[in-house]
Amino acid sequence: MLFHTWPFLLFLLVVLPVFYSLRNTPLWLPWLTAASYFFYAWSNSYALLVVLYITAFDFILVARIDRSPAESRGRGIWFAIALVGNLFPLLFFKYARFVAENLNALFSCLHVALRLPDPSGLMPFGLPYLLPAGISFFTFQSLSYILDVYLGKAPRERNLLRFANFVCFFPQVMAGPIERPGHLLPQFRQFPAIRLRNITDGLSLFLLGLFKKVALASYLSLYVDRVYDNPSVCGAPDLILATIAFAWQIYFDFSGYTDMARGVAELLGFRLVLNFNNPYLATGLGDFWRRWHISFSRWILDYIFMPLQMLWRERRFAGTAAALVITFLVSGIWHGAAWTFVIWGALHGVGLAATYQMERSAWYRKRVPSVLKQAGVFAYVCFTWVFFRANSLDDAVLIIRRIFTAAWQGPQVPALMLGSVILVWLYQYLYESRWRAILETGVVRLGLAALMALSLCLCSSGGGSFIYFRF
Amino acid sequence: MTTMERLTEIFRRVFADEEIHLRPEMTAGDVDGWDSLSHVNLILAVERGFGIRFQQKELLAFRNVGDLLESIEKKLT
Repeated sequence: MLFHTWPFLLFLLVVLPVFYSLRNTPLWLPWLTAASYFFYAWSNSYALLVVLYITAFDFILVARIDRSPAESRGRGIWFAIALVGNLFPLLFFKYARFVAENLNALFSCLHVALRLPDPSGLMPFGLPYLLPAGISFFTFQSLSYILDVYLGKAPRERNLLRFANFVCFFPQVMAGPIERPGHLLPQFRQFPAIRLRNITDGLSLFLLGLFKKVALASYLSLYVDRVYDNPSVCGAPDLILATIAFAWQIYFDFSGYTDMARGVAELLGFRLVLNFNNPYLATGLGDFWRRWHISFSRWILDYIFMPLQMLWRERRFAGTAAALVITFLVSGIWHGAAWTFVIWGALHGVGLAATYQMERSAWYRKRVPSVLKQAGVFAYVCFTWVFFRANSLDDAVLIIRRIFTAAWQGPQVPALMLGSVILVWLYQYLYESRWRAILETGVVRLGLAALMALSLCLCSSGGGSFIYFRF
Repeated sequence: MTTMERLTEIFRRVFADEEIHLRPEMTAGDVDGWDSLSHVNLILAVERGFGIRFQQKELLAFRNVGDLLESIEKKLT
């Protein structure tokens, strides 16, 4: 059930009033759980089994970890079992086919008479081998619960319903923001205090997200798809513009989704963490990752980068650089089982390691003009998006080669698209500058609202699915 | 010199700021320049300064200056 479709509106029109009316009863939590399970099962009902498995498995295993004495061997063993059992569905559904295909290719290269079967043959009861929606998100979220309890950073949750909501809370189960137990779980302890402000803020956020998705992201995708599906016939200007357009498409698509998720949660009285903070104004790659998909970058920072960096701390910069590259390789693989994502992650890891010292130097911070830094970061991020968006690794290489070698013929780019991207860019700059107050005046707000309504009428193409629902 | 005073000296040296006054509840957000990347320099300086070695799990469990201080004092006694 996608946020920008009619079934979701109907769903909300049932869930919200009942939720509000249950405020003085203990039934609000079961109702929220039922709503979340219904929402999740709407698109592929069998995948709910995976959610239920993760919920029950983690709940039981974390209780075992919590009951084992600190520093005991048993605690470590239960922790290891919890990690493996939690990651198993993700590894199986997302990566088994990729690994089997690549190993089989390797075997045939080496003339080894061994063939791994396709994982679809291992599915029980004839169930389809399909990626359960949101699996990368709810797996990482529940993993943070195991890790935080093991490290003593969060208490164990003793109420199964609260924990079930933590794993499958419908506003964010499909694509985040990835919440931490310390932030989301306590919010399920009592019925939230809902004020009129929650409703108005929630609706505003939801509408803003809807606008980003339906008017901007979907509109940009028409052009991006046209170019990226036929890169061999496009000239250099088209390929460059389509890559820039994709940078904005994925930003509007994903941050629009996040706005809607946070808006829906706000309507229910719950707060979800901020996920985007004007990422294309970043003045360094490190800064970019502090602004882009924040809940995910904090996750990989805390649970992958930090342990590796600390493990290799004696090696100083070399240790940090290696930790960065490995962390971002995992980030790439997390996004999808394909070599394009591996390269995308590697480029970010290597880029971060290469600019780590420079970004911290006084010369870079004080002498280089911000605009130059922002342009450099945006150009590099766009370069990495080529790998993220391209349909295959061959396509990505072809696109990059053609950007430098293909004829500089006139791009067939819709002027309206260029205009809207420039406007958004300008808005973003103003928002982070000392002229921000201008954006908050009544006239500008009214003008922006009218412009948003106009572009919804002109550019809307129905929406389609969200890019990040694939991950 | 108390452990807190010695720790404060190390913080001042690592972050090149003589104005740092540590409190147990302080986190990375309260000290300018204390980010995930400079954190490793701090840990190394603390280990060398006190002649101790943290375990991997301890390092990941620190939530604030108080946790760090408690762990140092436990190792010193």
